[in-house]
Amino acid sequence: MNSLLLLNGSPRGERSNSIKMLERIAEGWRRKGGTVEALHLARRDQFARAVTAFAEAETVLLGMPLYTDAMPAVVKEYIEALMPRVAAAKAGLRNPTLGFLVQSGFPEARHSRPVVRYLEKLAARLGSRYAGTIVRGGGGALEWMPEQANKKLWQQLRVLGEQLARDGQFGAAELKAIAGRERLGPLTVMLATLACKLPLTQSMWNKMLKENGVWERRFDAPYGPAFRP
Amino acid sequence: MNIAILNGDSEAASPFQAYLLKLSQKLKDRGHTVIKLDLATLNLKGCSGCWGCWVKTPGECVKHDGSATVRRAIIDSDLTLLASPITMGFTSALLKRAADQMVPLIHPYFVVEGGEIHHRARYARYPLMALLLDAGEQADAEDIEMTTAIWRRTARNLKTRLAFTAVASRDAEEVANELTLVA
Ligand SMILES: Cc1cc2nc3c(=O)[nH]c(=O)nc-3n(C[C@H](O)[C@H](O)[C@H](O)COP(=O)(O)O)c2cc1C
Repeated sequence: MNSLLLLNGSPRGERSNSIKMLERIAEGWRRKGGTVEALHLARRDQFARAVTAFAEAETVLLGMPLYTDAMPAVVKEYIEALMPRVAAAKAGLRNPTLGFLVQSGFPEARHSRPVVRYLEKLAARLGSRYAGTIVRGGGGALEWMPEQANKKLWQQLRVLGEQLARDGQFGAAELKAIAGRERLGPLTVMLATLACKLPLTQSMWNKMLKENGVWERRFDAPYGPAFRP
Repeated sequence: MNIAILNGDSEAASPFQAYLLKLSQKLKDRGHTVIKLDLATLNLKGCSGCWGCWVKTPGECVKHDGSATVRRAIIDSDLTLLASPITMGFTSALLKRAADQMVPLIHPYFVVEGGEIHHRARYARYPLMALLLDAGEQADAEDIEMTTAIWRRTARNLKTRLAFTAVASRDAEEVANELTLVA
């Protein structure tokens, strides 16, 4: 039976947007009769297991949030721990098929493209078959919207999971559809510029700042002169 | 000018460490104030994605670790030099740990800049950034280019820009001259 090693690279572990998305992909994989082992890289014991499990796996799906336009530090640590697998591949040993999920806070896919290029080359470096990278922006929608609102996304992810199980790779059309917009169109730029000036757009931050009693301190700049627009 | 060097090499006695010492001296010789932070000694706890730096202790990481030293050095500098070996095709996990904890330097509010969604600045000014990479034996020109492309975006998100990328196979004298020119 096909088994999938599902790795969650979010520092938020079980409470992350990444695992919510990865679980839907896993559902699709299971529909095709496969099994799944899921590990959180942010948990030390699971990190160690993820390193050994990589060598034995047939297919690995590594998901992560975009952190400062790249992978979170814990994901880079994991990639560095795979260094012996580069030598192994050169010595003729097989590495698993490798697919990725990169999901970001900003809505445009453009932010994630440089790290996607890196991940594709990482697969090549490991001599792994590259299954593709699922890119999805607008992580806030996962965090602050009801489950129902993301129904279409969950369905898209299940289909991608089925494709991974069936074809060993994601479908190009499905990857394109789930990534959505590469960049904002001129009209959206105009509307978004206006929207950013409305308190509503920033309301989730304001709500949290107020709940925490630090609203007055929201523009604090502990190390130098604060920005004044 | 004030130069902050963020040293992302975790190996204590590497040739790259020696190169950084030489480069720091050459920069001092040119009249610059240089602060070199060895990230490996700072006990960086890393980002857990809690958003505390934006909504609980605005501008500060809730962890109160060595990352505060990094943020202060960045804001105090005119130029921040990100120095790291390339491992598995990208700068070190250690430097990335420091980068993840740079998020307190910006503000959560969304803004549109250059046709993209970004976050608002928190500080009135930010230093220029530059990359210094030790390509070692593994990294090729494409790795350096891809690493630069990622950091160019990161610099932009940190409200500044990446002035240039240098590799440590180049003469330290030449790199010191170039760094002096950009700022
Ligand atoms: C330290 C840090 C850095 C981030 N950097 C970016 C970024 O550069 N671009 C972006 O679009 N989102 C960025 N985000 C937002 C996350 O990618 C987004 O909130 C994501 O949905 C979090 O996923 P998770 O719950 O799986 O950790 C960042 C978040 C944190 C905490």
